[in-house]
Amino acid sequence: MSITHEGGARPGPDGVSLELVPGEVLLVLGPSGSGKSTLALALDGLVPHAIPATLTGSVRVAGTETVGASVATLSETVAMVFQDPDSQMITGSVLDEVCFGPENLGLPVAEVLERAETALREVDLWERRTENPDRLSGGGRQRLAIACALAMRSPVLVLDEPTANLDPAGIEEVYRVLARVVARRDRSIVLIEHNLDPAMDLVNRVLVLDGLGRTAFLGDAHSILRTHAAELLELGVWLPVSLMAALHLHEAGIVLDPLPLTPRELTAALNVLDLPVLVDPPPPTPGIWDTPQLEVTGLSLKRGRRLVLRDINLSLDAGSFLAVIGTNGAGKTTLVQAIAGVIQPPRGTVSLGGLDPARLDVRTLTTRIGFVFQNPENQFVTYTVANELAHGLRLRGIDQAIIDARVDDLLERFALTEARDQHPFLLSGGQKRRLSVGTALVAGASMLALDEPTFGQDRARAGELLALLHELNAAGTTIIVVSHDLQLVSDFATHVAVMKDGELMRIGTRDEILADEDLLHEAGLRMPPLIRAMRGLTAHPSWRTVTRLAELPGGGGLR
Amino acid sequence: MSGGHGGALDAYRADIQAPLASRREYLYGLNPLAKILGPIPAMILVLLSGTMFTPLCFVILCAVLMLTGLRWQRSSLITLGLALPLFIAVFGFSFTLWADQRRVAHTPVVFEIGSFSVTSGALEIGFTTALRLAALFGLALTGGLSSTGPDLVRSSIQHLHLPYRIGYTALAATRFVPRFGHELETIRQAHRVRGMSPGRGPIASTRRSLGYVVPLLTGAIRHAGRVSLAMDARAFGAHDTRTERHQIPVRTRDWVFMIGFWVFTAAVLVAALWIR
Repeated sequence: MSITHEGGARPGPDGVSLELVPGEVLLVLGPSGSGKSTLALALDGLVPHAIPATLTGSVRVAGTETVGASVATLSETVAMVFQDPDSQMITGSVLDEVCFGPENLGLPVAEVLERAETALREVDLWERRTENPDRLSGGGRQRLAIACALAMRSPVLVLDEPTANLDPAGIEEVYRVLARVVARRDRSIVLIEHNLDPAMDLVNRVLVLDGLGRTAFLGDAHSILRTHAAELLELGVWLPVSLMAALHLHEAGIVLDPLPLTPRELTAALNVLDLPVLVDPPPPTPGIWDTPQLEVTGLSLKRGRRLVLRDINLSLDAGSFLAVIGTNGAGKTTLVQAIAGVIQPPRGTVSLGGLDPARLDVRTLTTRIGFVFQNPENQFVTYTVANELAHGLRLRGIDQAIIDARVDDLLERFALTEARDQHPFLLSGGQKRRLSVGTALVAGASMLALDEPTFGQDRARAGELLALLHELNAAGTTIIVVSHDLQLVSDFATHVAVMKDGELMRIGTRDEILADEDLLHEAGLRMPPLIRAMRGLTAHPSWRTVTRLAELPGGGGLR
Repeated sequence: MSGGHGGALDAYRADIQAPLASRREYLYGLNPLAKILGPIPAMILVLLSGTMFTPLCFVILCAVLMLTGLRWQRSSLITLGLALPLFIAVFGFSFTLWADQRRVAHTPVVFEIGSFSVTSGALEIGFTTALRLAALFGLALTGGLSSTGPDLVRSSIQHLHLPYRIGYTALAATRFVPRFGHELETIRQAHRVRGMSPGRGPIASTRRSLGYVVPLLTGAIRHAGRVSLAMDARAFGAHDTRTERHQIPVRTRDWVFMIGFWVFTAAVLVAALWIR
C-alpha cells in the first residue's frame, strides 16, 4: 500500500505490506514524516474517505476493501484512539460518550448500555459515568477514549500516539488499561508510540518505516530492536532509554547480551556484570554569577475565587536551567507566567534582577525575559518570518540598518534563513518553535521561559529544541521550562522545582530532586526509566546515582 | 485544559437535567419544544404591542412560572427581586430620554431635569419599551433556564424530524465555546507579551482584535477537523437512524403547558383590545 496526500510530493507510507494477526500487538515506529499516522488513518478508511489522498495498493479489513466500504462500516472492525483526548470528546457525560459509538451503529438500547458498562468498567471509569468528561484528568480522558473504542467491539484497535499529551501519571494509567486489554488476547492492537519504555512489555511485532515511508523492518519487536538498534537510531527512531543506555555502554566496551529493552532488564543485566567504579561527576556549576537573577517571595495568586498559587518562594542564579515539573493543573504554567509578567503578579513578589515585572511595560519587560507559549502560532503577529523577528525591535524605534543586521543574524542562528519570506503559519512544527524562541530573545532578554515546549511533539523534534535551549543556556541565557517529561528534564536541567496543587513542594539541584522518589511520587510524577533502572542496582553502589545517559561510560555521539 | 465549568454557555449543565428535578420543579420535566412553541405567539404579541398592559402580563406570568417551577437559589431571588425591577427602572428612564419629544409634547410635564422636561407620554413610551424587553427575556428564559441543549436536540430529532447528523453536530459544536474562550485568552496574552498595538481606544483595540482572528481560526479549523475525524471513526452518520437512549416524549402536561400558554396569550390579546 502507498498513500500520497492530496498535493503531497511523495507517498508516505510507501509500498508497505503487512498483515495483522488476531490477538497481536503491532508497534509502528518511524521518524516524523514517515507516514505513521497516515497508515493508522488508512486502517479504518479515514484515508482516503475523510482525508483526500491517493491510495494505491489495497487495505483490506476483515475481507473488505476500505476504498469501497464506508468509514462507518469499517469502524465496526477497526476502532481508533487519537492523540489529543480533548478533540475526541463529543457529548456531555462519560456515559453518553461511551454510548455515542454503539448508538451510531443503531444497536438496541439494552445492548448499548451493556457495552458501555463493560467498557467503562474495563477502564475504571464506571463510578464516574455521570460526570462531564472535562472534569477528568488527561489520563482519565484518554482512558475514556479507549473505552469508547472498546465499546465499538471491533476486533482491531488502533492507537495513534495515545500518551503524547499526558503527564507521567496519565501515561501509567493508560498503559495499565492497555495491558488489561492486551491480556484478554481477543483484539489486535496497532500502536504508534514514541514513548517506548512503558510500551515494550506489551508489543509483539514491530513495523519500522524509514524517512521515506518505506518498510525498513517488520517482525518480532524484541528481536528487531535488539539486533538492529544501531540502524534504528540512524533512521531517527527513538528507542527505549534502557536500550540507549546499553548502546552507550557498548562503546565503552561494556557489552550487555541480550540487549535490555526495559528498566528491569537493564538493572538485571548490569547487576550480574563486573563494572568499573564510577567517579562522581563534578558538582553542577550553580550559575555564572552568584547573585540571584530571579527572586520570588511570597507569591500567591487567585483566579476567580480559587487560589492557584500559594506562597511561592524561590531564587534562581543567572545561567541556571530550571525545570518546573508537576502534574496537569499543579500551577506550573501560572507560576512561570507570573514570573515572566504574562499575567500580572502582585507587586513586590517577583524580582527580575531588581526589576518588578508588575511595574514594567511590555517593552522593558521583553528586554529582561522572553516567554514562549505552548502553541507558538498564538504568538505570531506579522506575515513573514523576518518581520516576525524585526517586530520586537521596531517597537523600540531602532535603526532599520541595525534591525536588518540583527534579524539576519538570528535567522542564521535559528536555521531559518531560507524561510525568511514565508508566512509563519506555513512553517514546519520545528521551525515554528525555533522562530518563537527567536522572537522571545530578539530584544536581548537574558532569561527565557517556555511553557511545555515538548508537549505533543515527537521525540526527535523535542530533542532538537532542547539541544537548542542547552546551547543558549551554555552561552549564558537563564532558561525556565515547564515540563512533565522527566527524562528530558533530567538530561538538560540544572535545577528542578516540583509543584503540586499550587504549592512549590521543593526546589533544588537536579540530582537532589530526581533522586527523591517519594517526593516525585507524592507530586503525582514518576521516576524516569533510566534513573529507575540505576537505582535498582544492588551490585554497583557508585552507579546508583546516575541520572543521565551522558554520565554513563561510553561515547557521547549517540544523541 | 478547558475552562468554564458549569458556565451559562455549558449546554450540558447537570443541574438542569430533567431526571434530577423534584416534582415541584415542574418546568424541568416539560418537553423543551413545548417550552419554545408555547411562548412564541406571546413573543410576537409582545413585539407588536404598543401598550404597557401586554408586556406587563407576560412579565408577571414568567415571574410566577419561574418562582413556582424552577429550583430555588439565592441568585434567583436576587434576579427577580432586585435585578428585574432595576432593569425595568434603568431601561425605562433611559428610553424615556430617547423618546421622540415632538410626539409627546402635548402630554403633561411630570418633572424637569434642568431645562429638559420629562413628559408623561415620554415616560409611558420608555417604560413600555423596557417592559417589552423584560417580557421577551422572561419568555425566552422560562424555557432556556430549564432545558438542556441535548434534550432540545433529541426532542427536535424525535418530533420535528430534524436530521440527527445536523442536531448532534450542532451539539458537538457547543463544546467548542468554552474551549475557544480559553484559546482567545491565551492568544490575547501572547500578543500582549509581543507588545502588539499598545494603546487604548477603539482603533487600537480593533487592530488588536484583528490580529487574534488568524490564530483563532487556524486553531478552530484544526480542532474541528480532529473532532470530525473522531466522530467519523465512531460510525457517526453511518446509518439513517441512530439509537436514542433518552426518549423525550410529548406528554399531556406538555400539551397543557403549550395550549395553556396560547390561551393565556389570546386572553391577553382580547383584554388589551378591550381596554383600548
